[in-house]
Amino acid sequence: MTHMNRNLTPDNDTNRMDEVLKRALRREQAPDGFADRILARASEAPLAARSSAAEPILAGSWQRFFTRPLVRWATLTALATAMFLGVHLHSVRRERARGEAAKQRLMLALRIAGSKLQLAKSRVNEINAGQSEKPEDKE
Amino acid sequence: MKKVLLLLLVLIFPVMRAQGAQNQDAPTRDAAIPPDIEKLAARAKETVEVTMDGPMLRWASKFLSAKDPDEQKAAALVANLKGIYVRSFEFDEDGAYSPTEVETLRSQFRSPGWSRVVGVRSQQDGDNVDIFFKLENDKMAGIVIIAAEPREITFVNIVGPLEVDQLAELGGEFGIPKLDQKSLSKAHRGEQK
Repeated sequence: MTHMNRNLTPDNDTNRMDEVLKRALRREQAPDGFADRILARASEAPLAARSSAAEPILAGSWQRFFTRPLVRWATLTALATAMFLGVHLHSVRRERARGEAAKQRLMLALRIAGSKLQLAKSRVNEINAGQSEKPEDKE
Repeated sequence: MKKVLLLLLVLIFPVMRAQGAQNQDAPTRDAAIPPDIEKLAARAKETVEVTMDGPMLRWASKFLSAKDPDEQKAAALVANLKGIYVRSFEFDEDGAYSPTEVETLRSQFRSPGWSRVVGVRSQQDGDNVDIFFKLENDKMAGIVIIAAEPREITFVNIVGPLEVDQLAELGGEFGIPKLDQKSLSKAHRGEQK
């Protein structure tokens, strides 16, 4: 009991506290690679902070869909293909219209040529008919 | 962004190039149309001009329908032709062109290689028609028709091998009676006399 009492004196308590503090605050050597790990975490920290900041803005937005490289390229390819097909279709239609116009001109040329040949034929027939009538007249 | 623009250029360039090539296919007119007849255009009320060179003819014939009998015959007719040139002028009144102008036109086809097959002069109606054949190695290589009517003058030049049967078909096409070889020969004999 006296031993317990002696230990519980204020001086003893102070000494004990000092020892505990000394032990707790004594200088210790840092483990190997501690500094590297700290630096690595420090460099990762801004990126993580940035992504966590951007996430709320793009979360649920259609723009987030296009942040994926594959989707972005697929979209660009689809747009380029659509443009190519559009231009091609336009040129095909224009060529067809020009072809139809050329066909009409060709048919017109043939009709004119045909009509003039008909005119020549009718005149030749008239001459032939006149010549064949002349002997009969003589008779 | 640069990659996208480059990709678009790569895709669009062949199309643009093809269109440019098409535009370069415009017909190159040679001496198939006498310059004298072009002068009449200034006095004409109505003008019809058809200039179709070989490539244009072949291209136009691609659009002729195989289902339409008229177009089918036309396609067969123009298959071997090198060109069709038509100038037709309609005038407001009689005597808008002088007989000398027509004679100058005709004289250009009274040269070696050309044979005048039909020459019709009608005092009654004033319709004068001349048909010239171009012969190469005893084969027809072209035909020129000059039809001078009181208020209309028409020049037709069909360049290329044209069989008499095809010619008859041309004359008989589109509801027009066929031009038979006998009448052509008779007319030719009459002209020579």
